Amino acid sequence: MSSKQSEPSSYSSSCLEVKGLTISRNEQVLLENIDLSFTSGSITHLFGENGAGKTSLMRALAGLLNHDSGQICWRGFKTSHPEANFSQDLLFLAHNLAMKSELTIAENLQFYTDLRGKSVSRSEIQTVASELRIESLLERHFAELSAGQQHKVSLSRLVLESAKLWVLDEPFVNLDARTRDWLSDKMMNFAKKGGVVIFTSHQAIDGLKIHQKVSLTHKDRNEQSEAAA
Amino acid sequence: MFITLLKRELMLARRNWVAVLIPLFFFIMVVSLFPFAVSPEAEFLRQIAPGVIWVSALLATLLSLDFFYRGDYQDGSLEQLLIMSSPTQVALSKVVAHWLVTGLPLVLVSPLLAGLMHLNYSPDGILLERGHTPIMMFSLLLGTPSLCLLGAIGMSLSLGASRNGMLVAVMILPLYVPILIFGSAVITASLGNSGYNAQLAILAAILLFALTLTPFAIGRALKVAVS
Repeated sequence: MSSKQSEPSSYSSSCLEVKGLTISRNEQVLLENIDLSFTSGSITHLFGENGAGKTSLMRALAGLLNHDSGQICWRGFKTSHPEANFSQDLLFLAHNLAMKSELTIAENLQFYTDLRGKSVSRSEIQTVASELRIESLLERHFAELSAGQQHKVSLSRLVLESAKLWVLDEPFVNLDARTRDWLSDKMMNFAKKGGVVIFTSHQAIDGLKIHQKVSLTHKDRNEQSEAAA
Repeated sequence: MFITLLKRELMLARRNWVAVLIPLFFFIMVVSLFPFAVSPEAEFLRQIAPGVIWVSALLATLLSLDFFYRGDYQDGSLEQLLIMSSPTQVALSKVVAHWLVTGLPLVLVSPLLAGLMHLNYSPDGILLERGHTPIMMFSLLLGTPSLCLLGAIGMSLSLGASRNGMLVAVMILPLYVPILIFGSAVITASLGNSGYNAQLAILAAILLFALTLTPFAIGRALKVAVS
């Protein structure tokens, strides 16, 4: 398995390409005919009011939500195509942290790296944990941690797993200033090495260099409010 | 990757051993209620034993399904598993783990219940040298994996719905009928000293059929559940 550093910049033109994407939920069109392109080494801030479809777009990118039409390509291949190796390249952090409360922090993190076929040494986990100041908690069960600490555990996956595309849903929510800076740093470093970052946030993040801003608006909000009136 | 997934399932089961053992005790309890409720008479118990043991095994399997699917669905782990590995592998790892920690113990504990239901005595009350216990265990060994596989389809389909415990039962019990018929028929035939190879062969055929096709259905249903 290649590491992040060996990432070639040959496909710098466009890594992740979204063409004519239409997503609907509960029989209602949420996003219609969206074209987006995310280049290698870019950080994209998705914003828009609640219900505008940010999370749905992310879930569609991750392949969790079916789209009605259009296509999503990773390095020139459809994301579902085995050649794209998308499942190994993608790291999607959602609202729910996807950690098992009955396992320890170390076990949780170890499982996800194992699933990527990457062996991570104990010291690597310890290094990340100490950066996030959770190193003393590694042997504790996930359920015993505070919400903020749990969030940090989930964020440490970013460093431990060698993904090439980060899709992060509200990663800055509930974080203290120090961890916010840590995350901004990691995102910028990752982009510098050729990674692609897509994240949502309602606030502007100080010190984070953003290459692309995408605004999502509620497709037929006017029609809806009229209908409601 | 399959091994990683399987190891995780087994580790989670070990951490929640109480939840995992409850269906096993349920199985023992339900079977042992019959002598109290119906009749403690040996001949009578022997006659109803195949049905009682199989129905109880079936209900115990249904009861144990929830643990293996619900938790991962609720905390978002299922999404991550489905992103990072193929749905079929996730499905298969869950079913295998489910059978190893509930189906197999059920088979292993069944001789105890065979004793309770007088399966090892002849109709005149003489202890048989070779009782009907081994054949009963073999029928459960062939049948319980199919129960796990079919149950997993219902469980995955109902993950998005609330009140899903009952929903799974209603959806899946009709599909369990063939397994129940041939499973108990094996023991009944053995008790009547007639041949049971045909029934065993059909149980085995159901298992092979389920093993090759259901993982795709379960995987697909899990995908639908998270979308």
